[in-house]
Amino acid sequence: MQNFFTNLLYLPKNIGRLTYFFFDSIGFKFIFFLKCIKSCFTPDYYPDLVLKQIIKIGYNSLPVVGMTAIFTGMVLALQSYTGFSRFSAESAIPNVVVLSITRELSPVLAGLMVAGRAGAAIAAEIGTMKVTEQIDALKTLSTNPLNYLVAPRIIAGLISLPFLVFVGDIVGVFGGYLICVYVLNFNPEVFLVNIFNFVEFIDVFSGLVKASVFGLIITFMGCYHGFHASGGAQGVGLATTYSVVSSSIMILLFNYILTSIFFQI
Amino acid sequence: MNAKIKIRNLQKKFGSKTVLDNLSLEIFENESLAIIGESGSGKSVLTKCINGLTEYNEGKIIYENSYDVKNLKTEEKRLHISKFGVLFQNSALFDSLNVEKNIFFSCSEKKDFSILRDVGLDKSILSKMPAEISVGVQKRVGLARAIMSKPKILIFDEPTTGLDPVIADQINKLIRGLVIKKKLTTITITHDMKSVYEYADKVAFIKNGKIEWYGQVKQLKNCKNIYMKNFISGKI
Repeated sequence: MQNFFTNLLYLPKNIGRLTYFFFDSIGFKFIFFLKCIKSCFTPDYYPDLVLKQIIKIGYNSLPVVGMTAIFTGMVLALQSYTGFSRFSAESAIPNVVVLSITRELSPVLAGLMVAGRAGAAIAAEIGTMKVTEQIDALKTLSTNPLNYLVAPRIIAGLISLPFLVFVGDIVGVFGGYLICVYVLNFNPEVFLVNIFNFVEFIDVFSGLVKASVFGLIITFMGCYHGFHASGGAQGVGLATTYSVVSSSIMILLFNYILTSIFFQI
Repeated sequence: MNAKIKIRNLQKKFGSKTVLDNLSLEIFENESLAIIGESGSGKSVLTKCINGLTEYNEGKIIYENSYDVKNLKTEEKRLHISKFGVLFQNSALFDSLNVEKNIFFSCSEKKDFSILRDVGLDKSILSKMPAEISVGVQKRVGLARAIMSKPKILIFDEPTTGLDPVIADQINKLIRGLVIKKKLTTITITHDMKSVYEYADKVAFIKNGKIEWYGQVKQLKNCKNIYMKNFISGKI
């Protein structure tokens, strides 16, 4: 019984400690984030590394984003048909497909896929460099690791994700087109006219803005966890896991925030 | 003789653990100092404090009687770090760059390939990636890269760890040759007494974050310190 009360007395202390660690960690990440952003605007610049990262993050992610988008578009068309055919609203299927793909599914799914693919790779690569003292070696060779490692990845993420999402938009709608035309016997011209008449600039633009924010989140989280990896292979593994998990959660959180903002526009 | 680096009452803590405790030491120009001690005694942390890669809690590290490393601002710290060339324990070659790009990483002007001869490398390995070369060759590449940055002080972090005795002997001789030829000031962290006898002028033995013994290499034979004697004979 006495033990119970003793433990109870420790409760406020533990809550305080956890609260302190939580805000400490947020503050630490925020300071690192500001340093990363600063490194994008201060010399030295490495345009060749930016290009290399655009290829790694953007170009190499095209197949996985394309596959995700096409199957999502196809499933969306089939599921919409199931629902809309119950009240004879099949003609709205192209509109639903294009709206869902451009505003929501393409940016979020591309973000999650790139977080799993490129974000994990960034955390693993930088984490390995950290635990094998390659980052210390950079410093001794008069090179700022933030300029050399972080800035090119963040810039590449900001550029690549909108590009990937734009491709995802086209491929996703094409997936819907395939199902509507070849499975549900829609008229192809009607499908295309419906889409072009219905879709607005803001639908595509909001998706591309989301994509840029997700690109920043993915590359920042990968760099942050890689930079703070410690303890050899196990530490690198943990950094990779934390990077993917935190990126995914942040993507979903910021997706809601951005959707709320665009909802009011 | 003026000290290149003066360390006074240095203290470094990681959380509540004190790694370096009230440590004082001097390193002189053109001198080869070997820092020896058990694993975890604070040798690597000491060199990282000296070259500015790690912050320390208390004490002073005075470089050429001109500044304390602790008081340096970001840009000054960057300049201070660049005065040191480091051969890291696992060479720390950049995985994504080939040997040539590793060696000439800090070289913005014309590449001076005579460095290859100095470290006993052949031009044929320049296009290879670090993963394609042996550990011994990686050490040579790491050494070439460290020298190419034209450092004032070279730090060797366990240069022979993980090497077989033959290759370790080659690396020791290579370092000795370079130290003599280029008149370098060097700090070597090592467990290998062969390295100490091969090229060190002075030895500092660290135990529990403090200097337990400090003196000339030739004084090692008559050393009375029990810990030092045990370390030399491999009884620790």
